[in-house]
This record gives sequence, C-alpha cells and structure tokens, in this order.
Amino acid sequence: MSGTTTNGTTGPEPLEFDAVVVGAGPAGASAALALARAGRRVVLVERGPFPGAKNVYGGVVYGRVLDDIVPGWWDEVPVERWIVRRSTMMMTGTQSLSVDFRTDAWGSAPYNGMTTLRCHFDAWLAGKATDAGARLLTSTVATGLVRDGDGRVVGVRTDRDGAELHAPVVIACDGVNSFLAKEAGLLARAEASHHTLGVKEVLDLPPGAINERFAVQDHEGVDVEILGCTREIPGGGFLYTNADSVSIGVVVSLPELAASGVRPEALIADLKAHPSIAPLLRGASLREYAAHLIPEGGYDTMPALAADGLLIAGDAGAMTLAAGLWLEGVNFAIGSGYAAGRATDRALSRGDCSAAGLASYRADLEAQFVLADHKRLRKAPSLVLSERVQQHYPGLLCDLAEGMFTVTNPTPKPGGLKLTRTVAARHGVKLRQLAGDTLRGLRIFG
Amino acid sequence: MSTTAPGAGRWDGISFEERMATVDFRVGARAHITVDTDVCRSCTTKACVTACPADLFAPTADGGILFNYEECFECGTCYMVCNSEGALTWTYPDGGHGVVFHHG
Amino acid sequence: MTTAPTTEVHPAPDGPLVVACLRIGDLRPTVDPLDGTVTRDRLGVGLSPADAAALEHALRLAEAWSGRVVAVCVGPESVEPVLRDVAALGATVMRVPLGDEGDGHRYVGELAEDEHGLARTLVAALAPFGAPDVVLCGDRSVDRGTGALPAYLAHELGAAQALGLVVLGPVTDSAGRQALLAERRLDAGWRERLNVPLPAVCSVEGAGVRLRRASLAGALAAEGEPVPVARSLAVVAAPGPGSFHAGAPQPFRPRTRVLPAPHDDDPRLRLLTLTGALVAHEPPTVVEPADAAEAADVLLAFLARHGYLDDTRVTIPERAATEDDAP
Ligand SMILES: Cc1cc2nc3c(=O)[nH]c(=O)nc-3n(C[C@H](O)[C@H](O)[C@H](O)COP(=O)(O)OP(=O)(O)OC[C@H]3O[C@@H](n4cnc5c(N)ncnc54)[C@H](O)[C@@H]3O)c2cc1C
Ligand code: SF4
Ligand code: SF4
Repeated sequence: MSGTTTNGTTGPEPLEFDAVVVGAGPAGASAALALARAGRRVVLVERGPFPGAKNVYGGVVYGRVLDDIVPGWWDEVPVERWIVRRSTMMMTGTQSLSVDFRTDAWGSAPYNGMTTLRCHFDAWLAGKATDAGARLLTSTVATGLVRDGDGRVVGVRTDRDGAELHAPVVIACDGVNSFLAKEAGLLARAEASHHTLGVKEVLDLPPGAINERFAVQDHEGVDVEILGCTREIPGGGFLYTNADSVSIGVVVSLPELAASGVRPEALIADLKAHPSIAPLLRGASLREYAAHLIPEGGYDTMPALAADGLLIAGDAGAMTLAAGLWLEGVNFAIGSGYAAGRATDRALSRGDCSAAGLASYRADLEAQFVLADHKRLRKAPSLVLSERVQQHYPGLLCDLAEGMFTVTNPTPKPGGLKLTRTVAARHGVKLRQLAGDTLRGLRIFG
Repeated sequence: MSTTAPGAGRWDGISFEERMATVDFRVGARAHITVDTDVCRSCTTKACVTACPADLFAPTADGGILFNYEECFECGTCYMVCNSEGALTWTYPDGGHGVVFHHG
Repeated sequence: MTTAPTTEVHPAPDGPLVVACLRIGDLRPTVDPLDGTVTRDRLGVGLSPADAAALEHALRLAEAWSGRVVAVCVGPESVEPVLRDVAALGATVMRVPLGDEGDGHRYVGELAEDEHGLARTLVAALAPFGAPDVVLCGDRSVDRGTGALPAYLAHELGAAQALGLVVLGPVTDSAGRQALLAERRLDAGWRERLNVPLPAVCSVEGAGVRLRRASLAGALAAEGEPVPVARSLAVVAAPGPGSFHAGAPQPFRPRTRVLPAPHDDDPRLRLLTLTGALVAHEPPTVVEPADAAEAADVLLAFLARHGYLDDTRVTIPERAATEDDAP
C-alpha cells in the first residue's frame, strides 16, 4: 500500500479511490455495493468498530427493495422474526383500540417485513459490499470534506493521523446528523423541529413466552405501532418482537420533548405500564437501552441531494418515512444508496462528476418508490403530528369504541352518529373537523 | 380479582445507572462534547437537561451545567435543542470509541 | 497520561523480538442471575485496558530497540477482527486455536482452568519466531483471570519476571546491555523501581499509557487480510513433579442490582411504594406438592411462565393447576 507514514511536516500521502462512501449503514453499504459491482475502487468509511455499532432503529426492515439488489436475500439475511401480524393501537391512559392485521402471506418467501438487529443486518449488508470488492475501513471518522481549488469535493479527511482519502465523488451516507452534508451547505446545522428522538429498550423475553403472549409461532413476529402514548408530546410508540427479546420504544418531537420537562425514559416506562402492554412484558428484564434521532420533515424539507463531487443518501438526505403508521428508513436508505452508487458509476464513466453530472441520481429516485412514496405522503408528518390527531383522536376513538361496545341494557344502544357527536364534543373536536381530517388522511394515505 | 394489571403500579423500577450499565461504552481519551457552563448560566430553557436520553447534563447550584461525556449515545439531541450559541461543541468520538450498540 | 504516538512500528528482521500475549474476549459478558450461565457476545470482543497497555508498551520497546512485535492470542475465530486492528499497528499477529474450534463459549473457562497449559501452548506457538527478548501481558484478564499466566510463561521461557507494572521503559545496564526499567505499586502509595534483565516477562496494569491508533494506510493495509493461525497445538500441562492444581477459579457472579429510591417527597409515601402495601396484588397461592421433585417443578413452571426462565433450556412439566387459577 502506498502512502506510508512520514514523520516529517508534509503529512501522510492521500490514498486514491474512485469513490469514497462515508457511513456503513444501509445507505452506505448499498452505495458501496453498487460501485464495487461496477468494478470501481471504492472505500467505505465507518466510525464504529463494526458496521451497525452506532445504529439504532425500531426493528423492522421491509425487504422488497432487496429483491433486485440481493436476489434470494431471505435465505441468508440475519433475521430475528418474520412479521406476520401488524397492529395499530390507539391508546389513552386506561383504554386501547387496535386494528390488527395478520396474514400467512407474510410468513413465507418473499416475505414482507422482518425484525432484525442493526449490528447483524448492517454488517451483513456491508459484507455484501466487501464480497463484491469494496474496502471497509472501520473505526475511522470522516472529519471533513476535501475540496479542490474550484470548491469541488474531491475527498474526505479522516481522524487517523489526519490522512485524507481522495476520490472524484464522495457519497455521504453518514446518517441523520450528517456533518458532511452540513459542511457542504445541503443540510441545516440544527433544525430541531424536523427531527424526532427515538428511545428504545430491548427486553429479554424467552421465545416461548413471546410465542404465547403474542400468539405467534417460532420465527413469526409482530409489529405494533402505537399512537396516544406520549402524554402531551407529539409522537408515537412501537413494540416489535425479536427472536428472544422485544423492542419497545417511543418516538417524540424534539422541541416539544425539550419543552415538556418529561424525561424520555419516563415515556417508555408509561408505555410499559399501560394495561394493554404490561402483561405482554411481564418478567422481561432490560437488555439494552438506546437512543437515536430520526429526520422527520418528509418530502417538503428534503435537502438538495447533490453538489459538485458529492451525493447524499439515506438519513443524511432526510429520507426516512416517519409518519405515524409508517416508520421506514432502512428500505429508503438502501434504495437511495444503491441509486447513488449507480449514478456515481455513470458520472465516472462520462468523466463529469459535477452536480449536473450526478443529476441522474435524483431523477432515478423520483422514478422509484424512494421519492415517489415521499411525495405522496408529503403532508403526512404535519397531519400525524397535528394536535387533533395527537391529543384528541386516540381518546376519541377509544371512547367511541367503549360507547359502542359497553352493554348498557336495559337502556337502548346509542345511535352511531349521536354517539360520535357526544364523544367528539367531549374531546373538543367538531364533527366537521373530524370529517375534514378523515378526508385529508384518505387523500394522503389512501 | 383485582382490576389492576399485573405489574402496573407495583414498584419495579431500575435505577438510571442500572439502565445505562446495559450499554457498551468504549470511552475515548478525548471529550467529544464540551459544555461552556458560563453560557448555560444565562440559559432559561435548560432543554438539554430534559431531553438528553442519557441524562448527562446535570444542573449545578449556580445555574450552570456539569457535563460528563463518557456515557453518551452520540445522538445529537443536545446540540439540536440548545438555542444558545457557543454553549456546546459537538463532535463524534475518535473512531472505534464511544457507544457500541449490540441490539440496535 | 502520555499521548500515544500514531506511527507504526516497521519491523527490523533481526532486531530484538518483543511479544505481546493478548487475551481477547467479550469485555462485558452477561451472567444469568439464576443459574450463573455466562453468555459471551462476539460483538463485545476487544482488548482490556491492561492488554491494550501491554501492546502499547510492546510497540514502544520495539521502536526504541528497532525491534519487531509479534502479538499472539489464544482464542476462537471471533478474536480475529481485533487481531487485524493490532496488525494495522505494524505488529505481526497470530491466532492460536485452542481445542474445540467454533465453540467460543467454552474456551475462556478452559484457559482459566489450566494457565500452565496455556503458557506452554503459547511458548510452542511462538517457537517459529525465535526466542523472545521481552514478553508482555496484561496484569490480569477481566474475566476471572488469576494473573498467573505471566509467571508460568517466565518459567517456561527461563526468563526474568516483573509483574503488575505501571511504568516500563528501556535502559542500558551498567554492563552496556539492553535491559528494562520498571515500576510497580506498593502499599501506601509507595512504588518499587526494578531493573529487569532480558529476557523478561512483564505484565502491566491498564494505566499510564493509551494504545495508539493505526494510521490510515496501516488500517487499509490490514483490512480484509487473513489472520495467520498457528496449527492447533493444544498443549496441556501434565501435572509435573512439584506442581499442584488449585482447582477452577471462582465462577462468575452477577453484579448486584442497584434499585432507585422511589420519588415521593413524603417518607410515608416512599415506604408505601417500596412495600407495595396499598397496591392490589395477585393473591399468593398455597400449593401443596407431594414431594421435593414436584415442588421444584412447580417453582420452575412458575419462573418460566413469568418469563424468568428460557423454556428452551428447561423442560417444564405440564402445567400444574397453580396460582394463576386461584380465585
Ligand atoms: C427509533 C428509531 C426507529 C426506527 N424504526 C425503523 C423501522 O422500524 N424500520 C425502518 O426501516 N427504519 C426505521 N428507522 C429509520 C432507520 O433507522 C434509518 O432510516 C436508517 O438507519 C438510515 O440508514 P442510513 O444508512 O442512511 O443511516 P445510518 O443507519 O444512520 O448510518 C449512518 C452510518 O454512518 C456512520 N457515520 C456517521 N458519520 C460518520 C463519519 N463522519 N465518519 C464515518 N462514519 C460515519 C455511522 O456510524 C452509521 O453507521 C428508525 C429510526 C429510529 C431512530
Ligand atoms: S447546553 Fe444549551 S440548552 Fe443546555 S443549559 Fe446550556 S445553553 Fe441551555
Ligand atoms: S449526544 Fe445525545 S446522549 Fe450525548 S449528550 Fe447529547 S443528547 Fe445526550
């Protein structure tokens, strides 16, 4: 290897590649995979001791995006459980209303979603890239961008004796805090209102107890998304089953959490103590506590994705789809990372790595699900995080259900519309608003 | 039969230290985040104290902040919620150091 | 604390040989509070502070003497990523498999049980490199090591030994030969300074020095390289004359659990929370098993039902009609 260390004043020689990918999360691993497959010399820089070491998510990867990238992925992916039941739960302190969907179709190939842990999944995907010929450099922080005289990005500086990695294109897949995208001016330095904080507990629970309590067989898993469990703070909760543990956590708006005076772990404690959740977790002990930010602005806050010699993908480009019923980011990271790798390969072939030369990336994303889904759901964050949906609807729906299902004879059962009106009024919601939001919801999600 | 769910209301908490002890932190020699307590003294929100999931910001009697970087998730919450210019310097720990999640 | 230099050692083929014996394992193994089963996680695998200090001392000595460093570790394949990081620092690395490959769970126990055998295994594995001038170890491993390995190594190599050091550096002795100057702690804050002749086996505390980081070029060169594996040697110490076996070291014990005090300001409320006096309970159940075996089954079934036991590890008898069916 060239670039031997010199003790003199000049510093180490830079190391040359066709592309430098920063961050071995799903976005970075996919970008490196695409480039390595195209025969490019690519280095994947990761600050953790192994891929996934720094990464936290809720727990479900939707694998459809992998079909083209790693055919037959389900035979080799490190999976905890295949999701066959998906529940959406609205709750108040004492009530809960669930819409529960179960299908056998999700329990066999090609599957729909799976729980997996990031240290396993990210390492697996990065392994695909190294198998294809990418170099993986762990325990190394990319500390800044290297630019040429014209301001084009031509590499990154690292924290290993300040040495540099040079390449015509840098793909920043460095996650939600992306300091590289910030340095390039593509991302605001700190926009708390476009971010949510996720805190999660992984709890030990024997596989038998999971099967029994969640009504599943071995290898089958459950995904529960929860609204109304975060006190006055806009957000939501989740509960996922792993092989011999469950992941439970909440996701809350950053500025409102900060203003609330409520500690994040207290919100998880609330959720765990809820009468609908507590029996599921009885006797489970804490295996790991974790926290991570989520970019949650949606399509309308998405940054420009390219500059001269630079692309951004995954969470660095705010591509998580986090809108209440959805909490998906890994699939978007993989889709965008792979597209960034391919666009880079095309730009390298044409010898034009300027922002214009890399523009096919964005076009590619618009055509794929990555940006198409985001565009369709662009209004979702503001609806799901709106005060009515957050503060009034969970209680309203629970009361509605309680009103419907509580047997009141000999008093006759209340009529549906009348009941709705009384319950809505109790929650300070007008029928007109309810109808309006339903329509908005249908338009966004339907 | 009682109507209370099993476990609910029963005192079964774990301490915050115990909670943090479940996490693998490979502490580096350099403090990757520093807090200027002089700036914090004039901060009215103390947003970091509420929001830091690792509870690393300890208010002091004189209105400042005492900060320890060792058990940090490197999540970025603190610099995002802090509105006071210059209160925080925030970097990643040196490569290979800092938090290592085993169940992320 | 000295700041670590970041250059690598460039091995001079004929210089003095400095060996670092590294014990690489999960630094935070979990211990089952009920049955004491130790679970090791390959993601937690790393160098303990003492081993990292030993390696750093080895690199510094080799630098001072224009020598070379060989780092060896007895362990399963899961230690290889760590050895690769060591190789990135310019050391020659070697993994020595012990016994049953693939069974990463038993090896640590085996190592600790027979440290004399471990020392012989290491000496045999090092033979191709020539006679070491200095061997460095951590003073004790984090997982119930006894700290006896360096002494056994010194015995096997016929070398001087200096154990539990906090300071270590090269000197030239009065006869103009290379030697070591070392310090170790004594009671009451005193320190003892030692002149150690070569060859020597030294164990160091995880203090005073910090392991340097590899350069970018070094890290890239080591990345993806296979780690050389010594052929399986598994030398077991036959208890020779004058040796005796002191038995296995203590098993792991789970840490004690610190519980937080309840939050109420009123002491009476705190007491109520702690005792749960006013909280509705499931009523206790009286079971009357016929014999001890049945009683044990009932207890195990209870623990399993409440998620305390992994029921794949315990065969639970069919559910006795017990407390859950109580009114
Ligand atoms: C609580 C929570 C729950 C979630 N739940 C889900 C879910 O159920 N399903 C789902 O699909 N998505 C979920 N997501 C979203 C998902 O985790 C992200 O969208 C996804 O991880 C983004 O991938 P990425 O590769 O862009 O970024 P990351 O996974 O964040 O990867 C970035 C990588 O870059 C590295 N890095 C950063 N800076 C540097 C640097 N300077 N030098 C070197 N390396 C660097 C990091 O160590 C990291 O490995 C969740 C997120 C959170 C926080
Ligand atoms: S760090 Fe920022 S938010 Fe926290 S006390 Fe200081 S100024 Fe206030
Ligand atoms: S980065 Fe996160 S865990 Fe670390 S101090 Fe800031 S808020 Fe706390």
